[in-house]
Amino acid sequence: MSLEIDRFSHVESSIQRWDPRIKILSLGFFIFVAALLKTIPVAVVSLLIAIIIIKITNIPFHFVANSIKWVIIFLAPFFLILPFSYPGEAAFHFIGLPFAWEGFRLAIVIFTKALAIVLATDAIFGSSRFDISMIAMQRLKCPRVIVQMVLFTYRYIFVFIDEVKRMEKAMRSKGFVMKANMNTLRTMGNFVGTLLIRSFERTERVYSAMLSKGYQGDLHTLVTFEAQGKDFVKAGLIILLTIAVLVTDMIRIFHPATQGWY
Amino acid sequence: MHIADGILSAPVLAAGFGGTAILAAVTLRKMGHEEIPKVSVMSAVFFVVNLIHIPIGPTSIHFIMNGLVGVILGKRAFSAIMLGVILQAFLFGFGGVTVIGVNCVMLGGGALIAYFIWQLRHRFPLGDRVEMIFGALAGAAGIFVSGVILALALFLTGEEFLATAEYALAAHVPALIIEAIVVGACASFLKKTKPDLLSGQVQKGILKTS
Repeated sequence: MSLEIDRFSHVESSIQRWDPRIKILSLGFFIFVAALLKTIPVAVVSLLIAIIIIKITNIPFHFVANSIKWVIIFLAPFFLILPFSYPGEAAFHFIGLPFAWEGFRLAIVIFTKALAIVLATDAIFGSSRFDISMIAMQRLKCPRVIVQMVLFTYRYIFVFIDEVKRMEKAMRSKGFVMKANMNTLRTMGNFVGTLLIRSFERTERVYSAMLSKGYQGDLHTLVTFEAQGKDFVKAGLIILLTIAVLVTDMIRIFHPATQGWY
Repeated sequence: MHIADGILSAPVLAAGFGGTAILAAVTLRKMGHEEIPKVSVMSAVFFVVNLIHIPIGPTSIHFIMNGLVGVILGKRAFSAIMLGVILQAFLFGFGGVTVIGVNCVMLGGGALIAYFIWQLRHRFPLGDRVEMIFGALAGAAGIFVSGVILALALFLTGEEFLATAEYALAAHVPALIIEAIVVGACASFLKKTKPDLLSGQVQKGILKTS
């Protein structure tokens, strides 16, 4: 997903209308259960659930595609590493390397679970304004300091990306080309240093402005949450589905794809 | 370099969250609200710098710079990195919500060790180059420690990840070299231009401003 995660939070759907606190709790539960699944069929079911959820949010596919791209980039190597490095009996040899189906199965489980988790996370944070999600986290007893710092950081990220783009343009107009050599790396060191100095100086100004407006370590907000019957029905549905998924995975109707130390 | 969702086992994930809670509680102690913006800024810079890619041959590698966060923020570096990791999990959805704990311990732990090494510079009278040398060591230490914790997390999950852990460690070597050079250059640049940004700076001269 892109940095501007809440771009489609205004789209109407029953996920967008869901009370953010309850949404974070129930989908969060789903995500953690998904991370622990061990069998392929159940992992596929969890992926289907996640796809349905993201479909309901009406977030366009191209917006979700970016995060799916990262899953593929990060996890593609597992399809190469795991089958050929799995301990134990090899099914056959491929160009002299032992190929174990067990390792391949493990790679599929990891990949499917990761997709399900990414889609569910996108559904949580893509369907509410980011500041509202964070205030909801604070209502869920997340430490106030951390919530506040996450909000500040989120704001600054966009400012600093613009700063980096400006600085990069200036460097390129002076003839700088990135290469894998000592000169580039040293220049990048100075680049990061300059970015730091500019960022801190900007923040000092912002902080003085905040102090002069009476900032004392609290952020005040007009956002209020009100959970209704419908919110709990949605939560119940997700939690029941998740428990069903977890139980099906645990009773071992299907062959688990990993044998670890445990 | 961080681990993705769906790979590690439940005990390792739980240990990550436990370790993060402890480290966050210890490093956030006695933090006044005037420090909130500073940590947030560093965290945002950390996040943005992670988006910068350096070309190496046919591929490219992105900065991590957890060592640099240690050099700038000292022990508060852990919380800055934690914020970066949380945001990256929320915004990209990948890399990910369930592994926030493990990734915080991995990158934040590296930052804390980097700070420890950075502080050792006071014991070595190396003159003008001391910031460059210890910045480089801190940058390398940040990546090294992260690599070791990552390999350990994979290894503890199961023996089938042993080879993956080895590849992951090997993949850290180019990152380690790049970070050492960049953090070294950055530390010596900051020493020349704005030394009070660096953590653990002993003020010299007749005026004591803080």
